[in-house]
Amino acid sequence: MAGEAISVQGRARVAERAIAAGSPYLLIAPALLFMAAVSVYPLFYGVRASLAEYKYGRELGFQGLDNYRRVLADDVFWQAMYVTLRFVLIAVTLETILGVALAVLLSRDLRFAGLIRTGLIIPMTVAPVVVGIVWRLIYASDVGIVNPLFRVAGLTPPDVLSHGTSAFLGLVAVDVWEWTPLIMLIVLAGLHGLPREPIEGARVDGASELRVFFDHTLPLVRPVLLVAIILRTIDAIGTFDQVFVLTKGGPGTSTQLIAIYGYNTAFRFSQYGQASAMMLLVLVGMSVLLVAAIRTIRGAAKKATGAA
Amino acid sequence: MKRVLDARMTRRELLRNSAMFGAATFAVTTLSACGLGKKSSESNKIVIGAFQDNALAPLRDTFFKRFTDETGIKVQYNETNYDSWYQNAKNDGLNKTGAYDIYIMDDNWVPEFAAAGILIDLEAAGLKPNPDLLENGLNQGYWPPKVGPRLKDVANDEPKLYALPIDDDVQMLYYNSDQFSSAPTTWDEIFAAMKDKADPPNMYGWTIRGVKGNPIVQTYLPVLNSYGGAFANDDWTPGFDGAEGVAALERIFSFIPYMPRGIVEFDTDQEIQVLLQGQSLALTEYTGLTQRIDDPESSTVVGKIDCAATPAEEKSGPAIGIFNAGIPPSAPNTDGAIQFLDWFTSDDVQLDFAKTGSAAVTRKALTDPSAISEARWLPAMADAVDNSTPKPRTPDEPKMEDILGTELNKALVDAIAANGKYGGIAQKHLSAAADQMTSYLQQQGGYY
Repeated sequence: MAGEAISVQGRARVAERAIAAGSPYLLIAPALLFMAAVSVYPLFYGVRASLAEYKYGRELGFQGLDNYRRVLADDVFWQAMYVTLRFVLIAVTLETILGVALAVLLSRDLRFAGLIRTGLIIPMTVAPVVVGIVWRLIYASDVGIVNPLFRVAGLTPPDVLSHGTSAFLGLVAVDVWEWTPLIMLIVLAGLHGLPREPIEGARVDGASELRVFFDHTLPLVRPVLLVAIILRTIDAIGTFDQVFVLTKGGPGTSTQLIAIYGYNTAFRFSQYGQASAMMLLVLVGMSVLLVAAIRTIRGAAKKATGAA
Repeated sequence: MKRVLDARMTRRELLRNSAMFGAATFAVTTLSACGLGKKSSESNKIVIGAFQDNALAPLRDTFFKRFTDETGIKVQYNETNYDSWYQNAKNDGLNKTGAYDIYIMDDNWVPEFAAAGILIDLEAAGLKPNPDLLENGLNQGYWPPKVGPRLKDVANDEPKLYALPIDDDVQMLYYNSDQFSSAPTTWDEIFAAMKDKADPPNMYGWTIRGVKGNPIVQTYLPVLNSYGGAFANDDWTPGFDGAEGVAALERIFSFIPYMPRGIVEFDTDQEIQVLLQGQSLALTEYTGLTQRIDDPESSTVVGKIDCAATPAEEKSGPAIGIFNAGIPPSAPNTDGAIQFLDWFTSDDVQLDFAKTGSAAVTRKALTDPSAISEARWLPAMADAVDNSTPKPRTPDEPKMEDILGTELNKALVDAIAANGKYGGIAQKHLSAAADQMTSYLQQQGGYY
């Protein structure tokens, strides 16, 4: 009888241990399934589509790496990649500089800091399509406000969207206006979490504010800044709405980012295979670049933190 | 009630009840998705999908209701923007969703949709087209095309009718009658009037759609066609990089001093705004604009904008971009859809459609005196359809248009910057477009 009781207890313990071991997997299973449905499956489908031949929107079957070969031989693809990289580099650099500057400014005990912060965040909360429409109304040569302002100042109106360079810079300006607040917010949160001692110590030692910022604040906030830059870079590579509304990639191909070209290839020219191959190549390229960037910045941060 | 609220449930009961509830929910949603309970309403209802366009407003606002009143068949009209509807229609057709009975399509969708097998042969389904339909409009619904170059795959196939014209949208010349004693018929006349009367920015001589892609191609085509060039020749070689194409583009360049600043970024809205504010002598545009020229809310020159055939060099050569209606094989109510197309293209209905000022698709309607008394531009519409030149009939037309439209846009930017010295610019960009187009068609296969 006692033996039976021990055996029952033993079985219960084994069951409990099994439940304890399995429950974490059970708990994360719904999230994993959800991720598989919304993230893994589309990626898998994209890979499959990139290896398939399509005609008139219908999948005809496997055709190996032909789509990749066509994309790599397509001058317009490389042109779009070049425009995208230039756009990302200029926009994210400007956003980082301005975002950090604004964050440092707002981390001080300014009057109306809360109000200023709220005001600065507004562009980020507006839908990108609306941002595009608003800026179209600003830039447009017929009804926009930029040309009249130049005329009032006695200058030649720039017709922002009519020239390749000005349209490109106009697009960068829109992105900077919209997304600088994101970097500012992330860095501001990082600044609030910094240890006070090294910074106050440097001030006591007589270091100027500029030295304190470059030698202490920036190295300490760099991990947070790195996250902000990575997020913005990924997002900027996929910029679509503003370009679609403002320029549709023109004049010529001066603002044709890769997302616009990918969209046209898939949904206007019905070349789903090539569009999938294009986007996977971008994904691979972006991943390589990001990993390299993360390693470089981390290395620099370690050195700087060690020095600090 | 209290008993129910106080009742306790064991874990097993909870699981069992949850499973039963889940199974019941699954069964109901699955059966609904399979269309149970749908058939009953199919015979007296048709679902029509379309893109938003001014030209379709009379159809939406007047004629669907009339069709319902006369036949008892309800019309559900789903209207969305152009790009979304193109994708919706294609997905519905490819996946045989059966969400629509009729697709309203732009003319250049027909080759792709017909070749992909997502439209039915209307004549085989029992439709007999009205013999009075304008031929150039009707031809846009055939695949393979009745006229012009064909893809090798379908070179010897008998053309079948996959779509019926419902709005013969075609380009016309719109001119301010205060500035011209009669309709200008040649580009030389237009240019002479510009030099004489234009006074930018108070009065422009001409205005265009300059945005890359489709818009600037639509600006270029009536000039190109009138100079004897072509988008594509009968052997699919580009027909715009020769002397005719260059002369046509340089003709547009010659208008630059008389056009508004920023035409590179102008699309339809900006272009017609200049005309309707009385600030342009003339422009070429599709027939949808007729719905606005006498509307006091849109125009400050009501009654002063007249229409005529697009100007000629060798001939008048407007581009045709009609709206078609086709039926997918998965349509839940094919008979109702056929009935609607038959009804809408009938003589009586077309006459009333013409009286709304719309681009009716039958000759009698466009030439009827009672209709012309209400819409003075109808004869110009008939003339334009008769003289129209279709774009290349191939599923690859959007890409061809994008290639040409990008180079035309670059050429316009360069010509504006050249400040009158535009020699060589047209040839450079048209040759680049021709090379890209040839290379693209070779890669696609089936053309040469």
